[in-house]
Amino acid sequence: MVGIFGMYAFDENWEIARFVYFGILGCQNRGQENAGIATFDGEKLCRFADKGMVEEAFKNDEIFKGLPGWCGIGGVSAFTAENNNFIPPMFSERGNVAVSMNGKIINCKEIDPQLSEKTHGDMKIVANLLEKSLEKNDSVNAMKEVMEKIRGAYSLVALNKKGDMIIARDPHGIRPLVIGGHGFDLGVISSESAALDVTGSDLSRDVKPGEIFVFEPHSIEKDDQTFKNRNTHYCAFEWVYYARPDSIINDIHVHEVRYKIGEILAKENPVEGVDVVIAVPETAFPFAMAYSKVTGIPIDLGFVRTGRHLRTAIKPTQIERIIGVQLKLNPIRNAVRGRKVVLIDDSVVRGSTLRNTVYLLKKRGAKEVHVRIGSPHLIAPCPFGLDVPSQDELIAKHNTEEEIAQIVGADTFAYLSIKGLCKAIGMPQEKLCLGCFREKYPVYDY
Amino acid sequence: MTNVKVLLIGGGAREHAIAEALVRSNFEPKLYALMDVKNPGIKRLVEKSGGEIVQGKSKDPNLAAEVAGKFSVDFAFIGPEEPLFHGVCDAIEDVTGIPCVGARQKPAQIEQSKAFMRRLMWKHNVGGRLRFKAFLTVQDAIDYIDEYAESVAIKPARQAGGKGVKVIADVQAYLSDEKKAVKEKHAQAVFEEHMKPYDDIEDRILIEERVEGPEYTAQCFTDGNIVEVMPLVQDAKHAFEEDIGPETGGMGCISGKDGVLPFITAEEKEGSIKIVQQLINAVEKEVGEKYKGIVAGQMMLTDAWGPTIIECYSRFGDPEGTSVLPLLKTDLVEISEAIIGEKLHKINFEWEDRATVVKCIAPKGYPRRRNLAKDHPIAVDIKEIENLGGRVYFGSVSEENGQLLTKGSRAVEIWTDGENIVEASRKAESCIPYVKTLDGWGLFHRKDIGSPELLKKRIELGELQRECFKYRKAKGLVGRRIDWIPGKGKLEYVS
Repeated sequence: MVGIFGMYAFDENWEIARFVYFGILGCQNRGQENAGIATFDGEKLCRFADKGMVEEAFKNDEIFKGLPGWCGIGGVSAFTAENNNFIPPMFSERGNVAVSMNGKIINCKEIDPQLSEKTHGDMKIVANLLEKSLEKNDSVNAMKEVMEKIRGAYSLVALNKKGDMIIARDPHGIRPLVIGGHGFDLGVISSESAALDVTGSDLSRDVKPGEIFVFEPHSIEKDDQTFKNRNTHYCAFEWVYYARPDSIINDIHVHEVRYKIGEILAKENPVEGVDVVIAVPETAFPFAMAYSKVTGIPIDLGFVRTGRHLRTAIKPTQIERIIGVQLKLNPIRNAVRGRKVVLIDDSVVRGSTLRNTVYLLKKRGAKEVHVRIGSPHLIAPCPFGLDVPSQDELIAKHNTEEEIAQIVGADTFAYLSIKGLCKAIGMPQEKLCLGCFREKYPVYDY
Repeated sequence: MTNVKVLLIGGGAREHAIAEALVRSNFEPKLYALMDVKNPGIKRLVEKSGGEIVQGKSKDPNLAAEVAGKFSVDFAFIGPEEPLFHGVCDAIEDVTGIPCVGARQKPAQIEQSKAFMRRLMWKHNVGGRLRFKAFLTVQDAIDYIDEYAESVAIKPARQAGGKGVKVIADVQAYLSDEKKAVKEKHAQAVFEEHMKPYDDIEDRILIEERVEGPEYTAQCFTDGNIVEVMPLVQDAKHAFEEDIGPETGGMGCISGKDGVLPFITAEEKEGSIKIVQQLINAVEKEVGEKYKGIVAGQMMLTDAWGPTIIECYSRFGDPEGTSVLPLLKTDLVEISEAIIGEKLHKINFEWEDRATVVKCIAPKGYPRRRNLAKDHPIAVDIKEIENLGGRVYFGSVSEENGQLLTKGSRAVEIWTDGENIVEASRKAESCIPYVKTLDGWGLFHRKDIGSPELLKKRIELGELQRECFKYRKAKGLVGRRIDWIPGKGKLEYVS
């Protein structure tokens, strides 16, 4: 997964890099492996990118001196990049375009078999296509031409050497993207609305599926006609896990969805005679709050974190995930000792971290542990850029709920139903992408 | 009164709307016009009324007096602000004895000098006072910016064609350095660029506290004694859709039924009128002359003050004037006579109870690179637009050798009405395709003006401000700001 951000001043007096920095910091939830920023100052495109969280990658003021200009784009990514050049935002082959993209292009092999093999190779491919198309088209038409060629899920923001910021969202709207403004001076683009809040900007609305915007020095160009009337399929996992709870995704408040998930979870799979509801930090907090409210079972603080906040589920290796969970989850003894616990988590991928968590609770004296998951069973990979591992690694693909309970050492175990998830989001199944839960992808001959 | 002759000064879309309201009069006036460029709309109306056009500097007081005298008109109606600032009314009235609808030079200072207006408000306790500081030098302004990192509006101290105002919300401490740099650069630009052409006032730069809330314009007729408010209007200041991009003179506006807006209550409207009335009274006390003509409060509903005056106009807003003038059922010639004769209280004002939308169409390049937006041939299919229920008002266009050319600003304003704003907006959208450039140069307008989505946003913002204001009122905090400084204690700033 990738978080993207762009900010554009219609007045050249602004130095934008610092705004982009806080913008991608606001998207840090979407990727913690590397971060980058590219800016344009009227003459040259500048770029800096490095490994680590945003604050690690941009560790000193010197870096910002190398990023002059009034428009800039940034990105954070959850994938380990092959080398620095493959960290978003990424330059095109001849360096005339920089692109930050969230999603995945699925017909890369047809376009550039070599690049398609690399991590974020598809972003490079899009940058190259755009660069080429810009040689003979204006920015709107260049983007249009690229969108005719690529298939997949993508939300992207690009900069060229004319000072245009090009913004596009795939015709099915799988990945989120919002647009906003900042006073009379700045236009803003982000994966999530929370990053707009962080930079003091105002949310205008979602970029519509298939919509193209181009911020130019003296105008904003738009095409919302060419790719309209395709079916929309918003990624359901954004609301379950990826997005920040303070974001609004596709005009639906993330926190509200998570709260409803908790309510539905309580109704779908009640547990009799338990003493306490405990959440696995942090995504599952709203699930647990609602679960407690509906059932009347008190909620308690179950775990305290050591070290800084990490999103353990998106760490690239198994050992990193286990270390992450162990550090993240030190149980508070008297919250669990002698009690029957409902443990609420957001999702289960391989089951290994959950097993560790249940084990910790039992060791601290929990009498019973009933696991409830705030999302449906994850049974298939995501072709659209979500970092779900291959199918043979997915515990839900190969085991029933009862079997999973045995594997992780829980007394009972249950998922949210797909129907329940759609109800919580407030959208019919056909408007959503539920590919990783249903093993059926809504679009494309994948 | 028959055979009335009226001289209209100014040649924009606003004056086109004024001209139309004047010729609608039962007195069937002969209309004369003095304008800088030949506005094709006004030209048509003048010719139809049997009057004449003089092309020349509309802000030249001598020329204005000469033209008024030459045609021995009954009164002059002044559209734009610059003629007022240059003493056009004074010259016409004092040289020829012909009365004017328009403020004389001294009272017009409430718009000409933003510093004058703010000082006046403080001196005479006019409601809704914002804290401000005026500066004579860049260095003083920059020193002030250096010291106080706050959310501010930095403005030229004089009305500069609506240009040069920058509003900066400085809330996130971590972005304060970046914002400070922009503030300082802008203060420099105000001094060197925006204020450069003007030496008729001393103050150079104004720094005001920034306030938030939905904006609206309360335009009023005044005879110097009472003010008569027109339906409230909101204009859309951002150049581009979704409220993004640079500030413009206004890309269009909306007005609702019952003379109010969906996000401003009748009570708030009353509060706004009171402020404008106080201003009129205060300016007379200050300069010793009555304010006669049009006055408008560019208002904002803020949490600190409720209705708050952001800027003051000494004329109709543009495009706000275009919104309301077509709704005026009362005879504008009669109103003009009443303004001149201080008998406004005798007029029974009537307005069509309709929602309206005005959409401005501008050539690309506006507002920041007007030279790019200039001199493009443009065609307007007035007949088609009128068939669709719209009206066309010509703005920054000139008729040259039988061809319409853009002049760099908003070229055409389309006016439509409806049962509600959304309906009027849809109607306006259907008219837009009938305005085209002939050289392929791009035109733009804001589709979202009057859209349900934008209205919803305004209503939400209005409610938020209203709730905060109610709280402040209940706690006796209106106009007060209390700080507690560690080691020093409580400091109260009362305005």
